[in-house]
Amino acid sequence: MARDVTTDPATLEEAPPPEATDDATAMAARLAEAGRAKRLNERTRMILAYVVLTLFVVIAIGPAFYLISPAFRDSVSLFTYPPEWIPSEPTLDNYRFLFSSTSYVRWAINTLIFAGSTTLLTLATNTMAGYAFARLRFPGRNLLFFVILATLMVPVAAVLAPTYLTVNTIGDWPIIGNWIDIDTYLGLILPSAVSPLGVFMMRQFIETLPDGLYEAARLDGAGEWRIFTKIVLPLIKPALVVLGIFVFMLTWASYLWPLVAATDNEFRVLTVGIASLKGQFVTDWGILAAASLLTIVPVTIVFLFFQKWFVQASMAGALKQ
Amino acid sequence: MAEVILRQLTKHFGSVEAVEDVTLRIPDGEFLVLLGPSGCGKSTILRLIAGLEDATRGEILIDGELINFKDPTKRNVAMVFQNYALYPHMTVYKNVAFPLETARMAREEVAEAVQRAAEMLEIEALLKRLPEQLSGGQRQRVALARAIVRQPLVFLMDEPLSNLDAQLRLQTRLELMGLHERLGITTIYVTHDQVEAMTMGQRIAVMKDGRIQQMGDPTEVYDVPANTFVATFLGAPPMNLISGSLERDNGQVSFRFEGYELAVDPATSVIAPDTLEEAVGEAQLGVRPEHLTLASPDAEGLPGVVRFLEPVGSDLFVSVNVAGHAVQVRMPPDTQVSTGSNVRLAFDPARSHIFGADSQNLRS
Amino acid sequence: MTAVDAPAPEAVPDDWRAPTLSDAEYRWRARRYRFRTVRRAAGFLSPYLIVWGVFLAIPAVWGIFLSFNQGGLIKGDPRVFVGFDNWTRTVSDSELRTAVKNTSIYVLIAIAVVFTLAIFLASLLNHYKKGSNFYKVALYFPLLAPPILGALMWFFMVNFDFGILNLIKRTVIGGDGIRFLGDNPHALLTIVAVEVWRGLGFWVLFYLAGLQSVPEELQAAAKVDGAGKWRRFRRITVPTLRPLLLFALVIAVIFNFQLFDSVQVLTDGGPRLGTATVVWFIHKRLFKFQDTGLAYASSIGLLVVVLVLTALSFWLLGKRRQREA
Ligand SMILES: Nc1ncnc2c1ncn2[C@@H]1O[C@H](COP(=O)(O)OP(=O)(O)O)[C@@H](O)[C@H]1O
Ligand SMILES: [Mg+2]
Repeated sequence: MARDVTTDPATLEEAPPPEATDDATAMAARLAEAGRAKRLNERTRMILAYVVLTLFVVIAIGPAFYLISPAFRDSVSLFTYPPEWIPSEPTLDNYRFLFSSTSYVRWAINTLIFAGSTTLLTLATNTMAGYAFARLRFPGRNLLFFVILATLMVPVAAVLAPTYLTVNTIGDWPIIGNWIDIDTYLGLILPSAVSPLGVFMMRQFIETLPDGLYEAARLDGAGEWRIFTKIVLPLIKPALVVLGIFVFMLTWASYLWPLVAATDNEFRVLTVGIASLKGQFVTDWGILAAASLLTIVPVTIVFLFFQKWFVQASMAGALKQ
Repeated sequence: MAEVILRQLTKHFGSVEAVEDVTLRIPDGEFLVLLGPSGCGKSTILRLIAGLEDATRGEILIDGELINFKDPTKRNVAMVFQNYALYPHMTVYKNVAFPLETARMAREEVAEAVQRAAEMLEIEALLKRLPEQLSGGQRQRVALARAIVRQPLVFLMDEPLSNLDAQLRLQTRLELMGLHERLGITTIYVTHDQVEAMTMGQRIAVMKDGRIQQMGDPTEVYDVPANTFVATFLGAPPMNLISGSLERDNGQVSFRFEGYELAVDPATSVIAPDTLEEAVGEAQLGVRPEHLTLASPDAEGLPGVVRFLEPVGSDLFVSVNVAGHAVQVRMPPDTQVSTGSNVRLAFDPARSHIFGADSQNLRS
Repeated sequence: MTAVDAPAPEAVPDDWRAPTLSDAEYRWRARRYRFRTVRRAAGFLSPYLIVWGVFLAIPAVWGIFLSFNQGGLIKGDPRVFVGFDNWTRTVSDSELRTAVKNTSIYVLIAIAVVFTLAIFLASLLNHYKKGSNFYKVALYFPLLAPPILGALMWFFMVNFDFGILNLIKRTVIGGDGIRFLGDNPHALLTIVAVEVWRGLGFWVLFYLAGLQSVPEELQAAAKVDGAGKWRRFRRITVPTLRPLLLFALVIAVIFNFQLFDSVQVLTDGGPRLGTATVVWFIHKRLFKFQDTGLAYASSIGLLVVVLVLTALSFWLLGKRRQREA
């Protein structure tokens, strides 16, 4: 956009009033015309803006729609040319296959167990730790907090080998090894519940509650645990929901750790399972589309109901830091 | 019900000496007011007694038991906070019941006790509401109900009236006194409002910079202020102070300033007889406005010029310039006087005070 | 209460003033009393500290130790201490070098594209508020699906035979289709496109939040002063976004540097290592059990890079706070 000289306040002041010699009617006409041109210009711009935005929306949600047709037809028919958009013989075969010959249901259940437990565990541990950091004046708390916070960004990949080894080692121990090992639920869940982001968020949030509440409760005879459960938890419900959604979304979408920690089909989760449907050399497109579609539809529905919370949760990850 | 003792109680926040060497004894059932300007350490004393702060030094005893190292949850003191600190997510009923439920009292007993407290504070109609649905005065009552419901040993109140409007403040003041009369719980009441202190306190402890300046019943503190701080902090307008010096001439001690001389009569005990001998040097003369009267220019007294007149209905406050000092005089409202006129200020020397170089009242 | 019930204070002997405890005892009991906060804190912290310690902190430290070893991930392959061998080889290993190069190219292009688009779309949404909620929600949609599923959707889009992109290409431009995942550098660029598609919604919302924090009055004042649109953008919007931009940049680098999921599912590093990335390299070496030592060392390399970047982002954030204060 070129810099419009007349809009510069400095030049505006110095320049004589434009066309001061012209008579008033001519000037009024010119002004009206300029106004109309400007309005038209603005209108085109607005239309352009919405066209661009709509284009991006199509790109954003288009790929999901592109799964619909392959999901309901025989994979072979995909390869006809010219393409047949609406399948002439729609079929549920892909879904039938998915439920009978793959472990899709198992994976879905595993995903719910995995993401649900990780979320609950994270909420519980992080809220308690956040409370301790926000409210309890114990020596060394700043140092400890800093050390924990320093691990905020540690990538899964960077500690993949030692974490794998840790879980594997614990798996060799008596008794506890039956519960925590590669190819166990706890072995999958515990290393996914380590991020200190929630500790940080909860500490910030709990610190905003007025001191008077704790002090009043303490004088009312309430110990820390009672204050935590009866005063703090009810007051931080919104933060719990936001953190819960955030952790759940992150966990169920995770891939790398489940890929190595749950190789056994009994413990495999959806992301790993669906990825395994895409064969190394040949892919059954119909089944892949069916599985993908089936997986995103429920999330989308939940999302549409709770979109405000979702957006807040995703922002929480970045902005709350 | 309990007796509270503070012994050399001291609290430092880093380099801030919030409370310094406070020793006092509050007999069972007394209503003690801690009075002082903002920042003098009043709240800190309450918080130390409650256990919300740990003392730097000194002991706190309730009924003879040392409670310094007892958790606040077990001290059985109740506190009414300035902003009430009601639990925002609980109904009024739940708020009041909280301390009892914490103590694992049976449900019916809780209901009964809450009912009793609610009746006493006339909040029965509010029990189902949330704190955000209450007015300031109602919140105040709920906070009080929560404090009295479990019959604490000691009642601590930190400026509980300061968030109320003037009308309500007056009413609540009376109710608080009535409550104390009925329950007889030892109460420590913090305020920076001298009217509250004078009207409510059985005794007043006047504080400044973390230290107790004077302790006594309201008339005592008002009539015989221990030092210039107490003298000027209490009373509106405050006591007039005139700087001068104490001089000794042939065994006669007199206060002098700007050519005016006031002989100190040993019989009035304005200066304690046993210290009369060495009381020489810089000093201040203090007289309350109500103890001064305007006299004609040729009468006895301090010479001055009338500067301002402030009629307040019940009284007429006259500001008189006495050798550069603005001296306030309280006169009956119908006094005939005009600004600019020369007057003399007469007073009864026995009702005046002389403060030594260290600002202490020389009266014994 | 009258003086009859309660004895006047003066009448009470002064012995109540004497302290009960000796100095030493007082200090000792005070210390023990203060220690109760440690016990309570331990109670509240231990659940998290145990999980964090066992499954993050200890592994992170163990990883440093591992980087001087070779093997040990599976039973038949014993762990051998190899000293600095892994580290010297990280410099010369051609596969790792390719992975670092690919990752860097990917990070540069992806961030440049996604940030430009995001700021552009955010300013549009900031200006044209009508229906902006619909657009925000729709743009956010790709983030709902796990990265794996997002990648799989694009697997359909870029298919050589029936992918819509190739259908369009064939009809509009003519000729044969493009092997989006089968040729270089197409494959890496396709990965960039997939990741940009997935992240765009987030960054649009991020910058929109930033733009909306620009005080309305400032904009209005500038408008009254007659400042043009571009001028307003440069003088007001950019300066307010700048600290946010730097911070976002660091965060984006950290996350994009860990590119793995879509690579693994779409190309598995191919063709001919054209989409090999650092994390893909680590995973492959570790779990195909070939030269694990090199993977151990590069894990620590990745850790160090990320930690340095994190420190940088905190520093930037601190500066932003200072500026706001
Ligand atoms: N937690 C604290 N940290 C540091 N200084 C404090 C703290 N609490 C109070 N103070 C300081 O101690 C002094 C006394 O405070 P306070 O007892 O609240 O006074 P008051 O209630 O009489 O207004 C003040 O100077 C205040 O700044
Ligand atoms: Mg106070």
